[in-house]
Amino acid sequence: MKNLLKKVFKHWEVFLLVFLVLEFVVFGAANPKFLRPKSIMNSIVNYISVCIISLFVTLVMITGGIDIQAPSIIGLTSIIIGVLWSDAGMNIWLAVVISVLVAALCGLLSGFFIAYCGVQPMVVTLGGSFLYSGLALLVSGMSATPAYKGISGFPAKTADGAFVGFRFLGKGEIFGIPTQIVIYLLLIVLCMWILHRTKYGERLYLIGVNPQAAEYSGINTRATIMSTYVLSAVSAALAGTLLTANVNSAKYNLGSGYTLAIITAVVLGGTLNTGGKGSILGTVLASLIICILRYGLPLCFGVSTQNLDLPVGIILVLVVLGREIAGQGMLSKWFRRRKS
Amino acid sequence: MNKVKSLFRARWMSSLIFLILLFLITGIADPAFLNYSSIISCFNTATMYTLLAVGIAFVIMTGEIDVSIGSTLGLTAAMTGLIAQQGGSVVKMLLVCVVVGAFIGLCNGVGVAYFGVPSLIFTLGTNSVVRGLIYILTDGRTVENFGGAISSYGNKTLFAGITVYYAIAVALVAISHLVLTKTRKGKYFIAVGDNAGGANLVGISVLGTKILAYVLCGLFAGLGGFVFASKYGQVMTVAGNGYEMTAIAACVLGGISLSGGLGNMVGAALGAVIMSSISRLLVFIGLPSTYDNTITGIMLIVIVVVDALAQRRSVEMARRKRLLSRTAEHTPEGGAAK
Repeated sequence: MKNLLKKVFKHWEVFLLVFLVLEFVVFGAANPKFLRPKSIMNSIVNYISVCIISLFVTLVMITGGIDIQAPSIIGLTSIIIGVLWSDAGMNIWLAVVISVLVAALCGLLSGFFIAYCGVQPMVVTLGGSFLYSGLALLVSGMSATPAYKGISGFPAKTADGAFVGFRFLGKGEIFGIPTQIVIYLLLIVLCMWILHRTKYGERLYLIGVNPQAAEYSGINTRATIMSTYVLSAVSAALAGTLLTANVNSAKYNLGSGYTLAIITAVVLGGTLNTGGKGSILGTVLASLIICILRYGLPLCFGVSTQNLDLPVGIILVLVVLGREIAGQGMLSKWFRRRKS
Repeated sequence: MNKVKSLFRARWMSSLIFLILLFLITGIADPAFLNYSSIISCFNTATMYTLLAVGIAFVIMTGEIDVSIGSTLGLTAAMTGLIAQQGGSVVKMLLVCVVVGAFIGLCNGVGVAYFGVPSLIFTLGTNSVVRGLIYILTDGRTVENFGGAISSYGNKTLFAGITVYYAIAVALVAISHLVLTKTRKGKYFIAVGDNAGGANLVGISVLGTKILAYVLCGLFAGLGGFVFASKYGQVMTVAGNGYEMTAIAACVLGGISLSGGLGNMVGAALGAVIMSSISRLLVFIGLPSTYDNTITGIMLIVIVVVDALAQRRSVEMARRKRLLSRTAEHTPEGGAAK
């Protein structure tokens, strides 16, 4: 039993998986309606922005950085797509490409200050979150539609109710699975490949463990660090596009308030915020755990949707405390064994 | 030692100069701004952020971070409102604010310092928990219509247009500044943030200092909650959401390094004034308030980047000087040092 416990804590992902399965068992037993695949997938679609962005913020945090500007880029992307499409009359796909480029530029700017000027990542991305949400508001001022209303009426819905074109991204289905989830799965595979199978991924870990050693061993640490911020900004742009297509409304403040949710998902997934440790699988499992919790608690136990912060917060605190207490002895032993 | 002192002085002086420049630019754009009452009202409206920034400055100086103060402010504000609705006395409200704030701070401190959970993660968790408590306490409704004396306190002026609250906030800033710079225990905060291992070796309790910093931070956030309730007269469930980021930004503007061990309270207080008066100044300059966040973001980034470059330069210079003096010492021995 003790060995089993040790193993579980050694492999954080196993613990998360057990937790996720437990959630399904408990919620499923409490209310059979919970287990309908359609509703489960819907709950993931509702949380897709956090799921997608947390994948790439994991890369940032593995290098020892942090990105709290991504949610403001969601809003910026959304409003740029809306304004270019509705007020400038541009092709919707061209608008999407331009907004992704703008987001990449935003990530590049912040990444440059962090990597090349040596400013703390938290400060720069904090400034970035002010700056980009401010820019989003300015862009929305260019539109004829009032900012609070949001630009709507994106193409296209056929006469028989099927979603095609841009809206297909948000509402369509591929073989009965929502498009957003298919994209999410593809991104998971992509991220896993990047982080665990390429040299680039290896470099990220090395930079996180010891940036100076990485620099001396011939890695261009600055460019690498900068690239992670570009990646996370692009992922935020993607999330913004999907969200816009899903809710059929381009607004400057979409996604505001996701900041802490994203960090929570990454951190609960076992990524150290000091860098050098973490995995995509952990982040995926953690974001699913939070997602299922937010879906299951109101459905099965009648917790009001307003009130979900409390259980999620308690679980986060208990889990990190438990890991610290249980891991303090074991982790150090494990490290010693590793070294010898 | 003198050099270090002058560096500290320069750090908060630069934010003061920045604030004065900001006022002057606004004054050039619209001379109507440059009178006593509009400038003093910039300071008065900064009361809440001043309290938050000074509180979190203790934590940041020890090298940690606390993102739960926004919720703490919301919770204590809601409690103040509920007590006021039942006709409780102001003393009771203040007591509740201080005790609740300090207790949340204590929880944070124990989690971070004793159990060693990274501070960002732990305070994120408590942030959600406390926000959830607000929903439970208020049933998800806005606390409003509280009568009694509390809503009139916010506008009372002490002398020369300074409100009572801001005067108290300034007094608290002054006390914290003196404690930090003049007393032995106060200097521990900077020492722990600068080099926790070294502080431990010379017999400073790193654990105790960090917990104390969190308790003070929570306590100040609690006071901020009282001011919030009294100022706005209604407390929504999302009250204080995102205030932690503004407070952190204020500290950064005030020259406090987020890696700890550097900065002072006066800077934090000035940073809070800058953060809270930006939107007011924009109105005078003639830009609509939609430029608010953009300007704040640009300002924050420019200041920290300039600061980081200047700091790197000074570190580089110091290293070069050290290297030069060392080689000068060793040359007579004919390179035997190797």
